[in-house]
Amino acid sequence: MNCRNKPELRERLAAEYALGTLRGRARERMRHWLDDDPELAREVERWEARLAPLAEAVQPLAPPARVWPKIEQRLWFRKPSSLWKALGLVASGAAAALAAVTLLLPLQPTEVPASYIAVLSDPKTSHPVLVATAARTERVLHVTTLDPAIHVSGRSLELWALPRGGQPKSLGLVAGEKTELKLVAAADQSLGEVPALAVSLEPPGGSPTGQPTGPVLYTGPCVKYW
Amino acid sequence: MAPPAEALERLVARSALGDRAAFHELYQATAPKLFAVALRILRREDWAEEALQECYVSVWRHAAEYNAARAAPMTWMTSIVRNRCLDWLRKPNPEALAEDALNELESDNPGPLARLEAARDTAALGRCLRSLDARQRQAIALAFYDGLSHAELAQHLRQPLGTVKTWVRRGLARLRTCLELQK
Repeated sequence: MNCRNKPELRERLAAEYALGTLRGRARERMRHWLDDDPELAREVERWEARLAPLAEAVQPLAPPARVWPKIEQRLWFRKPSSLWKALGLVASGAAAALAAVTLLLPLQPTEVPASYIAVLSDPKTSHPVLVATAARTERVLHVTTLDPAIHVSGRSLELWALPRGGQPKSLGLVAGEKTELKLVAAADQSLGEVPALAVSLEPPGGSPTGQPTGPVLYTGPCVKYW
Repeated sequence: MAPPAEALERLVARSALGDRAAFHELYQATAPKLFAVALRILRREDWAEEALQECYVSVWRHAAEYNAARAAPMTWMTSIVRNRCLDWLRKPNPEALAEDALNELESDNPGPLARLEAARDTAALGRCLRSLDARQRQAIALAFYDGLSHAELAQHLRQPLGTVKTWVRRGLARLRTCLELQK
């Protein structure tokens, strides 16, 4: 953006963008700038927060009942072709997971092969980034990160168990290439009803609330192999 | 009464993890407010419904990028729906002329601005809005609630374009200074 060294202009553009008076071509250009100028995007966020109480004062009005099914339709039941595509993606994800597991299994130091294996991948690239394994009777989860670049300085990566129909449960923080996380009970009890794991980006030391607060970066199925 | 921000944050986090039930709960908790915001700007129910759908599709898809440290969930979602509506207004749109909004501001009928000034949890912004010149306040409210552009503001307030631009700019600058002092 050609106004990087004009703080007053930046402030005014951010304010008018948040208020809504920046329109047409100017609005479009501003949006392009926002994409690669995070500081300008922060300025817009600050203005959105300042003006947000205005929206609080609008009298709520329930939308017609037909709106929600339409949202579901658009998100999850669109066209058979896209469903097939989605299935294809799942299948290729599973293949990648299996390949990663095959690569990793010989590295496991435990004598008994791990029973629970979770492979978490980056949804944007579908690349596996983290593998977690546990022997069924042990209280330890072995976490291996496959890509050192996933660690973000000044933030913690927190690993979560996503139990069927329940709140996420923190399994601990992932730091370095190999982490051993203590499970509250043997893997059969702690992971038996957990179909998936996820990693979220949290403040240093982990989520202050006991639930994920930051963006969820990686997810993947947690499978019991034997 | 809006649900507490922490409850909404949890629902957004669950949605990011693919939990559809949580996403439905989030919709139920927030849609009436967002629908009212959209309807006020677009002034046509069918358009507001469409904007609302697009808003929630976007919320689901971007839930993983939502950062609670940077914006309250309601602020984040309100910005999404307002941006959808403002993009929509680019299309020629004679029905969106906000005659009745102007009447409301001129009448004794308590509009959102009056409710805002009465509401406790939004007291700081209400106080700061009161400290503005009446014309600045009116221009900002019409822009925010009704999505009026500078040109539409000029037309409705029967003032030259340059004058309303100045009202908006000075009003925003004073609002910011006032809000910083309230902290």
